[in-house]
Order: sequence, then structure tokens, then C-alpha cells
Amino acid sequence: MQTHDQTELHDGGGVADHIHPEPQTFVRKYIFSIDHKIIGIQYLITGSVFFVLAGLLAEVIRTQLMHANGGVVDANTYNEIYSVHGSAMVWLVVIPLLTGGFGNFVFPLQIGARDVAFPWLNMLSFWIFPPAGLMLFGSFLMGAPAAGWTEYPPMSLQGQAGTSMWCAAIFLVGVSSTLTGINFLVTILKMRAPGMTFTRMPLFVWAQFATAPLLMIATTALAAALAALFMERQFGVPFFDPTKGGSPVLWQHMFWFYSHPAVYIMILPAFGMISEILPTFSRKPIFGYKMIAFSSVAIALLGFTVWAHHMFTSGLAPFLQLPFMIMTMLIAIPTGIKIFSWVTTLWGGKIRFTTAMLFAVGFIATFTFGGITGIFLSAVPFDLHAHGTYFIVAHLHYVLVGGSLMGILAGTFFWFPKMTGRMMNEKLGKWTFWLFLIGMNGAFLPMHYQGLLGMPRRVATYDPQFQTINQIESIFSYVMTFALLLFFGNLLYSIRNGKKAGSNPWGARTLEWQIPSPPHYYNFKHVPTVFAAPYDFAEPLPYTGLEEELTDAPGPQPASVH
Amino acid sequence: MAVASVSYDTHEEPVVDRLYAETRDLRLQGFLLFLVSDVVLFSSFIFAYLYLRNTGQGFPPPGIGRLDVAFAAFNSMVLFGSGCTMHYALENWKHGNFNRYATCLIATIILGAMFLGGQGYEYTSLIVRDHVTWSGSGIFGASFFTLTGMHGLHVFLGVCYLTVLLLQSAHGVYTKQKFFGLTAGTLYWHFVDVIWVVLFSIFYLI
Amino acid sequence: MNIVMIERTVAAVGAVIVFVVAALALKHEWKTPGIENQVFKIMLGLLALGGIIAFLAGIGVLGNFAKGA
Repeated sequence: MQTHDQTELHDGGGVADHIHPEPQTFVRKYIFSIDHKIIGIQYLITGSVFFVLAGLLAEVIRTQLMHANGGVVDANTYNEIYSVHGSAMVWLVVIPLLTGGFGNFVFPLQIGARDVAFPWLNMLSFWIFPPAGLMLFGSFLMGAPAAGWTEYPPMSLQGQAGTSMWCAAIFLVGVSSTLTGINFLVTILKMRAPGMTFTRMPLFVWAQFATAPLLMIATTALAAALAALFMERQFGVPFFDPTKGGSPVLWQHMFWFYSHPAVYIMILPAFGMISEILPTFSRKPIFGYKMIAFSSVAIALLGFTVWAHHMFTSGLAPFLQLPFMIMTMLIAIPTGIKIFSWVTTLWGGKIRFTTAMLFAVGFIATFTFGGITGIFLSAVPFDLHAHGTYFIVAHLHYVLVGGSLMGILAGTFFWFPKMTGRMMNEKLGKWTFWLFLIGMNGAFLPMHYQGLLGMPRRVATYDPQFQTINQIESIFSYVMTFALLLFFGNLLYSIRNGKKAGSNPWGARTLEWQIPSPPHYYNFKHVPTVFAAPYDFAEPLPYTGLEEELTDAPGPQPASVH
Repeated sequence: MAVASVSYDTHEEPVVDRLYAETRDLRLQGFLLFLVSDVVLFSSFIFAYLYLRNTGQGFPPPGIGRLDVAFAAFNSMVLFGSGCTMHYALENWKHGNFNRYATCLIATIILGAMFLGGQGYEYTSLIVRDHVTWSGSGIFGASFFTLTGMHGLHVFLGVCYLTVLLLQSAHGVYTKQKFFGLTAGTLYWHFVDVIWVVLFSIFYLI
Repeated sequence: MNIVMIERTVAAVGAVIVFVVAALALKHEWKTPGIENQVFKIMLGLLALGGIIAFLAGIGVLGNFAKGA
């Protein structure tokens, strides 16, 4: 039914045939652009800048911890640094890179659309983001937030002036995310090419489709919490201060009702990327297409029912602890389905270990490890023991660095040729991968042990018995930083000097690889028609209407100016 | 209620070009999703209010009386009435009764402004007579003024929006077939109404 | 007749009108297609519910607390 309707719609005169003339001035083309590809790259660049800044903060943390007595920064500055490091990595790096960056660039191409549903809104979403990032880092000037990225009251109520700045900055990022979520959801629902039914969508699109409602709903809930904290700090309106009748636990509920779904905002798009990369380099159809697709949605739905597992030590009633524990463990089922499907995709495939593939396989290993410690932590008795220790730090860095960041790196190596028309250096890339993998595991694996021994997180100085283990972690974290420097060097070098990529260097089958690299302003000369899901490598490509893409045939004519 | 005599013909197929139809679909979905996220925003604050109310030290806090139900019920009727007139404004537009549409829309705007006036009166009497303030009356003042203030802001924006729609339709921006702005305005106004049903119940009646 | 009684009376009468109008509109709208009309139906239903609640509040069944509690 879907196919029929859409074929009819694209017969002429619809949105797909309504093409605006390509902007000519530099400002409209590269700065205030409404082209989803440019906006995606803008997100990637801005996010990378924030990534470097937040990464430097991480290295200050690791350097401070080289010595049991610290000595690099004082305790208050240390608190500010890890708070801003966490906030920036979550809201300014991982979420914008995965949704705003890769989401914007890739998925409209994959569904055969000419742009997202609301290009102007897309531009607005992006331009809210850099000022918000500057506000967050600017909070150092007025005394940055110092209660961790979660900013629990009453500590955040007593925090320095920058805490209010933090609220405002995260609120703005939230507005940007909400608008992006609305935009993506409408685009996926309404702008697919004719014939692209839901079960023919590439899995990256499915991942974005599962993420968009999270962006839209969860982020709005966070906005309420942030607004309340801001009002309490600036105008003394009592929500969280227990001396005035408020409740600090309320903040935890409101915060985690957002922030647990946000965990899936940070990982689902990476799942989608892995699901694209693995079949491409195994030359094999993805195993369990529908299971992977539906498990994304299942994870997104279950993600709303588990927030209080972050609050087992906050005085949550025991009769509430059990359901939250069970729901949390249930999430392992759809996640496990994905992991087994990926492994089975590799099974018997003709595997080609490009850098992107290495990162994807590394992702499976490290993410699974982080996921398993997540199951540990969902068990109330274990959580009571490990809460607030380095075990938590280890867990979250395994899923965020070993999961989301690995996904981002894999995605960069995979889609860089499409964005720039040039390849990244594979040799440097492999060095990056191995150094990154060694550095990452060396830095975060010992933290499990350290946490079980009882070293608390968020401390500037610590018991000397942990000094050796901390020094090992710090040294490996420098290795990881070096790997990332190699990566950025590779990136900057390859933009100008990389090998020419051609339209489809990996032999991938999704729609974005069937058009020139970088794609034209209008994406497709003719909107293609889709006949099947893109993963069957034995069959010819399931598209028609792409014959002229790689020829000199003229592009579609812009609609008359109005 | 002269407006109640509108004849309904819901099987009329609008004749519009495909570009408009598709664009309208996109905008409609986008607008509905925006309303969903707005519902989540209100729900979060409502959750906060109910949570605080049930964990705090008794409700309403000592020294603060109940709110004035009679006046609030009266004021609610002003807002709910505006919802009805807005509904008929859109219906009249769909059937080409542009004069009745204008009457209904103007009535909606006036009723919306009256509601805001009523809320202003209520705020004034609370602050001046009962000394209940936003920041000085514990969780009661905080939740009440934050939620009703947020709602009042939405009503205010809605009144502005409807005024713009009135001016736009007077200048011929919309036609009998192409009137998405009016649909969006009606959706928004109904949303504001329905939120008030909830707020009225949880602040005045329980 | 004091001001409170007037307010309550107006509220109760208005609530009846709102309920009737919303219910009639809902009945007329019932078979309309299209996503926005589905939303309108939900909204009209809730508006009718609001009419009922306001009527009960107006006649003093709901929210009738002792004065000065």
C-alpha cells in the first residue's frame, strides 16, 4: 500500500520535484546552509572541536591522578574539570556527532530524499548548538559547575555561578536536539523514495528512526528539569531544596528520565553504523535484518522504563527497585539479539579488514564488555556495592568510548569518502585502530578492579594503594590520545591529499553510494525507486532511476523562483 | 449559539496541487510532534508537582489556604468556551462561511484575553491578599506559579498567534482549500485548553 | 447572592454549554478522516470532560473544601 501511494505521489509536482536553486554565495552555501549534507558536516566539525576540548580536560584528569596527592590542579578545579568533561562529551560531542552529524549527512541520502523535511529548522537546530557549547566551556570563566555531569542538588544549588550557565547551555542543546528529532522523524515517515517501505530501509535509518522520538521526548523532559534547577538557583523557587519543602530525589527522577534514554540516543545510531559496515565488508547480507531493526525500537521503548536503576542508592522504595532491575535486565535481550546478529553476519563472510571494519569489529568486542558490566550494575545488590566507584566509570567509558566513540570512528572512516570524495589513509588508520584499542582497554579495564577495591569516583586525591594502577591507566590514556591525534592528522591530511575515492569505494549497496562523491546539492538526478532491502550481495542493486547518476547528464531543474 | 447551525459535509475532497498536499502533510506531522514534546514538558512539571506534593510536609503547606475554586471554575469556562468557538471558526472556514469564521475567531481571541485577565486577577489576589509568592511559599507557590505561568505564557502566545491568523486571513493568505495555518492554530488552541483541564483538576480540585 | 454564587452559577451553566457543544462537534466530526481530525476528536473529548469537571466544581461536588483550611 505504501509503495503504491508513494509512487503516485512522486509522479510529478510533489516535494521531491520541488528543487530550490543551488545557493551561490559562500555564506549561504557553507555557513547558513539549508543543505542537510553541509549541516551534517558542520555538526561533525563543531563536535570534533568540542571533542578535542573535552578530551584535553580528560587528560588533565588523568595527569592529576598520576599521583595520589594530585598536584596538577586543586580539588575545586578538578571537580569543575570532570563535570565539564562529562557534560561536554555527552551533549556536545557524542549526541550531536551521531544524530546531527552522521544522521544529517547519511540518512536522507539512504532513504532517497532530496533533503530533510524542514531544512530551515535543521539550520536553526545547528546554529543553536555552537553558542550552547561556547556557553558550557565559558562557564569556566565564572566558576564552572562542580557536581559532576549529573549536577545533583543540593550540591548544584550551592555551586558557583557557572552552574546556571550550565543549565542554560544544556537547555539550548536540548532545544536543538528536540528540533532535530522532530525533523528526522517526519523525514523518515514522509520522505522515503518510492518503494522504500519500512522493511526495506537501511538499518542506519532504522536506528535514526528509533532515536528520533527519544531526542524529541526525553530531551523535553530534561528541559523541564533544567528550567526548574535554573529557576531555583536564580530566583530561589523551591523545587529541590529540602529545607524549603523540595526534594533532591525529584531532580534525580527528572534527570534520569531523560538521561537514561539519552544513553540509547548515544548508542543506537552507532548500532546502525555497525549494521551498515559489517555486511559491506563481509560481502554477506546482514543476518536477522528485521530482528536488528525491531530490536532498535524495543531498546528505545524499554529505555523509558528503567531510569530509576541509577537511583538504587538514593532511597528508592524496595518494591520499586525490583521492577526497575528486571526492566533493565530485559534491555539486554534486544541488545544481545543485535550482537549475535552481527557476529552471525561475520560468520562465513568474505571479510575485508579495512579500518572501518576493524573499528566495527572492535566495537562489538568492547561494547559487549561494557554491556555485560551494565548487567552487573542493574542487579541491586551489586549496584549498592559498586555505586559511586570507579567500576561505574569503567562501565560508562566502555560503552561510550568503546561503543559510541568507536562507532563514530568507524563511521568516519566509512563515510569520509562520500563526504569529501577522497579516501582516508588506511595505513595510518590501522595504526590508529590498534593504538586506540590498546590505549582504551589499558585505560579503562583496570578501573573495574580499582572500583571493586573501593576507589570512589570524582576525587582529586586518593589512597596511595591505588597509585600504581592509576599510573598505568594514565599512561594508556596517553596512548589513546596519541591514537586520536593520529586520527585527526589523518583526517586533515586526507581532505586535500587523500586518494580519489570514486562513487563507491567499498562496494556498498545503500543508496548514498550509488551517486557521486561528494553528492550534488540536489542529491539525486532522479529520485530512485526501491525494490528490496539493500543487503543481498548476490543480487543486482534493487534500484531503478539511477542510470544517469554517474554520467554528465544535467541535474534536475530548480522549480521556478517564488 | 448561532454558530451551532453549521451544516457538515465531511466528504468534500479538497482540490489542491500535489506540492501543497505533501508540504501540508509534512508540516502537520511536524506540528503535531511539536505539540507532543510540549505535552512532555508540561507532564514533567506536573510530575514534579505531584511528586513534591506527596513527599513534602503536607499539602497545602501550613499557613496557605486552598485556592479559590469558584473563580477558577468561572475562568476555566472562559477558556473552554474559547475552545468551542475556535472549533467552529475552523469549521466555518472549511465550509466557506468567512464572516462567521471571523466572528468565531474574534470571539476566541477575546475569550483568551479574558482568561489571561482572570489569571492576572487571581495572581494579584494571591500575591497581595494571601501573600503567596513564587519563591516564598514553598513547593506550593513554586509549582502553582510555574505551571500556571507556563500555561499562561502558552495562552498569551496563542492569542498572539490567533491574531496573526486573523490578520493573515483578512489579507487573503489562506483559501478555502489551503488553510494549514488555521488548522495548526486550532490544534494549538485545543492543546492549550486541554492542558488547562488537567491543571485545573490537579490544582483546584484535589 | 454574593460574587461566589454568581461565579459558580456562570461556571455551571457555561460548563453545560461547553459539554453540549463539544459533544455535538465530536458527533459531527466522528467520521472525518485524516490525522489532524483524529487529534481534534481526542481534544474535543477532553474538552467535554473538562466541561463535566467544571460543572461538578461549579455545583460544589468537586473541590469543595472547608473555608480557610
